[in-house]
Amino acid sequence: MATPDLTSATAVPPTVVAPAKPQKGAGPDKLSGARWWRILSWRYLVGIVACVYALIPVLYIVSAALNPIGSVASTEIIPNTVSWVNFEALTNNPSRPFFRWFGNTVIVAVVVVFAQLLFSSLAAYAFSRFRFKGRRLGLLSLLLILMFPQILVTVALFQMFSVIGAVMPSVGLDTLPGYILIMLGGSLGQVYLIKGFFDTIPHELDEAAKIDGAGHVRVFFEVCLPLVRPILVISGLLVFVGVVGEFLLASIFLRSTTIKTLAVGMYGVLASDRSNNLGWFAAASVVIAVPIIILFQFLQRFIVGGITSGAVKG
Amino acid sequence: MRKSLLSVAAVASVTLLLTACGGGGGGTDATGDSTATTDASAEATGDAGASADPSAPPVRGNEDLVVWTDATKLDAVTAVAQAFGEANGITVGVQAIVNTRSDFITANQAGNGPDVLVGAHDWIGQLVANGAIDPLQISADSLSGYSEKAVTAVTYNGQLMGIPYGVESLVLYCNKTYAPDTYATLDDAIAAGQAAKDAGSVQSALNIPQGVNGDPYHMQPLFTSAGGYLFGLDATGTPDANDLGVGTDAGIAAAQKIATLGDAGSKVLSTAITNDNAISLFAQGQAGCLISGPWALSDVEAGLGADGYTVQPIPGFAGMSPAEPFMGAQAFYVASNGQNKSFAQAFVTGTSGGGLNSEEAMTTLFEGTNLPPAMTSVRATAAASDPLIGVFGDAADAAYPMPAIPAMDQVWTPLGQAYAAIIGGADPASTMTTAAQTISSAIASS
Amino acid sequence: MTTTAPPKTDARPPAGSRRSFPMEITGGSTGVLIAKVIGLGLILALAIGLTPTLIATSNWAFLAILWVITLVILAIYLTGRAVPAKYLLPGTLFLVLFLIYPILLTFQLSTTNYGDGTRTSREAAIARIVGSSAVQVEGGATYGMVIGTSGSTTTGPFVMLLVNSTTGDAYVGSEEDGLQPLDEDAVTIESGVVTEADGYTILTRQEQNSLSSSGQPLDGFSVPAGGDSVIKVQGFQAIEMRTPLVYDEEADTITNTDTGVVYTEQLGPSGDRSFFVDEDGNRLSNQSWGENIGLQNYKRIFTDPAITGPFAGIFAWTLVFAFVSVASTFLLGLLLAVTLNDPRMRFQRGFRSILILPYAIPGFISLMVWAGFWNRDFGLVNDLLGTGIDWLGNATWAKVAVLATNLWMGFPYMFLISTGALQSIPGDLKEAASIDGATGFTQFRKIVFPLLMVATAPLLVSSFAFNFNNFNAIQLLTEGGPFTPDNPTAGGTDILISYTYRLAFGSAGQQIGFASAVSVVLFVLTGVIAAIQFRGTRALEEMN
Repeated sequence: MATPDLTSATAVPPTVVAPAKPQKGAGPDKLSGARWWRILSWRYLVGIVACVYALIPVLYIVSAALNPIGSVASTEIIPNTVSWVNFEALTNNPSRPFFRWFGNTVIVAVVVVFAQLLFSSLAAYAFSRFRFKGRRLGLLSLLLILMFPQILVTVALFQMFSVIGAVMPSVGLDTLPGYILIMLGGSLGQVYLIKGFFDTIPHELDEAAKIDGAGHVRVFFEVCLPLVRPILVISGLLVFVGVVGEFLLASIFLRSTTIKTLAVGMYGVLASDRSNNLGWFAAASVVIAVPIIILFQFLQRFIVGGITSGAVKG
Repeated sequence: MRKSLLSVAAVASVTLLLTACGGGGGGTDATGDSTATTDASAEATGDAGASADPSAPPVRGNEDLVVWTDATKLDAVTAVAQAFGEANGITVGVQAIVNTRSDFITANQAGNGPDVLVGAHDWIGQLVANGAIDPLQISADSLSGYSEKAVTAVTYNGQLMGIPYGVESLVLYCNKTYAPDTYATLDDAIAAGQAAKDAGSVQSALNIPQGVNGDPYHMQPLFTSAGGYLFGLDATGTPDANDLGVGTDAGIAAAQKIATLGDAGSKVLSTAITNDNAISLFAQGQAGCLISGPWALSDVEAGLGADGYTVQPIPGFAGMSPAEPFMGAQAFYVASNGQNKSFAQAFVTGTSGGGLNSEEAMTTLFEGTNLPPAMTSVRATAAASDPLIGVFGDAADAAYPMPAIPAMDQVWTPLGQAYAAIIGGADPASTMTTAAQTISSAIASS
Repeated sequence: MTTTAPPKTDARPPAGSRRSFPMEITGGSTGVLIAKVIGLGLILALAIGLTPTLIATSNWAFLAILWVITLVILAIYLTGRAVPAKYLLPGTLFLVLFLIYPILLTFQLSTTNYGDGTRTSREAAIARIVGSSAVQVEGGATYGMVIGTSGSTTTGPFVMLLVNSTTGDAYVGSEEDGLQPLDEDAVTIESGVVTEADGYTILTRQEQNSLSSSGQPLDGFSVPAGGDSVIKVQGFQAIEMRTPLVYDEEADTITNTDTGVVYTEQLGPSGDRSFFVDEDGNRLSNQSWGENIGLQNYKRIFTDPAITGPFAGIFAWTLVFAFVSVASTFLLGLLLAVTLNDPRMRFQRGFRSILILPYAIPGFISLMVWAGFWNRDFGLVNDLLGTGIDWLGNATWAKVAVLATNLWMGFPYMFLISTGALQSIPGDLKEAASIDGATGFTQFRKIVFPLLMVATAPLLVSSFAFNFNNFNAIQLLTEGGPFTPDNPTAGGTDILISYTYRLAFGSAGQQIGFASAVSVVLFVLTGVIAAIQFRGTRALEEMN
């Protein structure tokens, strides 16, 4: 599939692997008006059309959030009235403590993202750097098992956690730690992606570090891990988005108002009275989306320019 | 290897230290929590180890009484539960559960469920089939304080299974601007709405939520008025799963009447009117009339103003039977496998000390839910200050308690889809016959 | 992954490498050492701390698992052997405990009839059927009641101290001696209940409550009251009741002593459970009990026409849904990435920021909002397009709607990874590949695209697997609908997992045993498909 000279790029040290940015030099000023029009105008057009496509539903949510009546029928894409009542309602209803749910979600997401990245990187490192019996089999069965959706085993999980909760109430049903444990069942979920990146780091680097007297622990944490940061960011985002949106397991395992995550809490609010709670729901959605968007902006430089660089260089 | 041994020793000593701390001050989570909750039951297991060790399984949750409900009733249920808790000096926990019924059954079986469940009476069949709730004993005197239909609704196989607190059934809301009268027939109400629609004032003459999957609950008043029935009654007056009315001549005739209101007829019924938008469209003034329940009231009032709408029991079609919507009772049940049965029974059946079987508690529930009370004295008081409650209550008393038999579960989806198809112009006779066959075979094989 | 590539030999650690860290504990710095000792100490302490509880509650399996895990952890981290295991263990442990073990439990469940009406053992079901028939004796007494004991307040023996709510007479009731009147001088009665009684300690309500939960001494406490009536506790009252149903253990029948009807066990029409029925086949109760039914659930999957009929169609649609979802999002994402990745363009960052918005909004929110957009008369889609399509009411249009929604939700992710991949392609190649007329496109196709595929193939495969089981996309958008009147279990947009979910947790009676069997079949299917895909992408993998 690829030209041979690309495969040999493996030997290039990572300092050179870092995303090349020579294109900076090619500034727009080099284009004359007519040429600009021919080459770039359609790109802007496609970009604008795509942005409209991406934005319309988002605008609708924002508009519903600003609509004081907050119902389906009265909402247009462009808000006809602007009111903050829906946002105020987020803070003053104790039976739907939005910010408590927000906090719970942050806790779950941070722990799960951190654990999943750590455990996945550890395992990926082993799969990439060591040769041991059952390695290939292990990798393949891991991929297979991870495809088994957890919601199909909810009954079994429920029975398990009933027993666990009886012995250790703090990690039983209706507790955040218990829910986190369930989510950690998928903590090897990112192995495949991260392994691909480890594979692209030249082994000379490990060897050099080892000659300097570093143990494999230090090689892992101080040499390899920093080099795969782009994929860690991507994987982390994937996990994060997945955790924030998870509502099925949460709806079964989290019951107390104060223990719920956003997904299950908000789903309950909307499901209980769909037509009347849209405004509240939309306002909540906006409040959730804003920090995520800011996070995206912040991480964009890691994502773009680094996301798959290692794999391609491989 | 010596260093390896050293490390083993290091781990062991740290372990000892941690274990010691744990034993003394409840260091680990497990020991900390369980000692806090279960001194009594720890001893009750008759465990010989009378040490301070947590030797019995802890009671689930920290409360002496745990109640499950759905999110809409959370506040009202919390209010009565807390009153009971204060009167008895115990702690109570009320939890809003998304899939209340199915989660309750699973959790109850696993010994992790609540002590008390709040839900609609048509759950009873499934709950009893799972042995998930206990029958209750209430004196005849007490029972006579509740509306007859409500008591019928929560009675299953001759046993009282729950204490009803509210009743609900569908009613007819009309927008005063377009349909100001009280209508003797549904046709008149539709005509008024249709006139407004033709004039371009509203988008829909009469909102009956059906959605693309149909909704037999909201169609039932039309179906019964046109002569249809779901289940016949056996000798004892309970619905008979073997007498299905869907595919009978009467059922087909009723479906034909419904078809005249669908896409092939006057287009009053539409699958675009769903449970998500029916109420809000009406509340925005975009529909002449609306068939919905007491739960729509707050939205309607907020949208149309206190004087902008009328409420009346649903009239029948001109020259046909009266409309008989389903009546639903909201009730409290005692879980069969709860951890706090004594408190649960006292809470649900008690006539004093914060028990639900009292005017005081029922009034609190009414104020929290705004549902027409099942207790007649409370309803009378409520209706005196708010005539609408009287209208809702009368409508519920005239309605037919929704069958709680398990066979009912097999009806919803096929019949709903049949309605949706018929509204869309499908042949009523063959569609209803197909639905009836599906329902019958599902009932027969369960 | 195996044969020719030069890195492979490099990847193998030098022969001496394992010996170069003989003592793991010395491999790291002092900080690592301390962390390790404390971590392992904590784990061991937890295991030791839990042991008494587990022994007391007879959780033997739990105890065994706990110690096996603990010992495996200690063995792996305290010795210098098995270096890979040190890296694999943490994640594997969670995987085994919270995914593989539940999967095994699911296998086991799939051989039972577990579900609605069959959740308890036969004994428990009979006890419940009989017990639930108890009714208050006509004209029978009710009592204000407290529990007293002449011994310990935790082990008894216990008695009921009763005050008849009509007559005000006081009684003591015990299981052995039945109901005995109490001397008025020996008791103090306040507001209808005994507050003090000579010779008895009265339990507080809390004490009574905690002794009444199942398995405790006061669970089912009743006092014989002459004839077939007994006095039973209800809350803090006692009621004179009788139980018309009687279970005859020898004949294995239940008899209604009021009517004389005898109920015997009979296999129900579903073939996986039995009921007690009278001579005419009328059920005494819909409650049945759990049983092992072997492979019957699997047999049903492959023979029941109600299952086999829709199964093939649903399976095909699941594949189409997953494939089109991945293909459409990838193509749109790639198109946008290629278009916007021109270095001469301004506002690139701005475009990207807007284009990733759909991905930044949590999926369940987008889906619930989109569900409203597809409404025929009031939805945004028909509004904007000026059409009157009944999107969610027609099976074909509903499929289109599901795919279109998934496209909106998924393209930003593909846009991101395509952009990333494009940017990481070396500058000289990129220069050559910049799309600038027909030759440019050829270069894109021959050079850039293959490189892109190498980078993104694993992501596409995992995206396929995700969509294959994308429960939320279906459940929150269409709930599997639209349905037809002749098949209420399989809807027009159902994928296998939403279909399974409805079987397991649907309102028409949960069939968890059966759904577990479907889950197992689904698992095997997913595995086969994944295996095929990995074969297909092996050529790409070889490059690494």
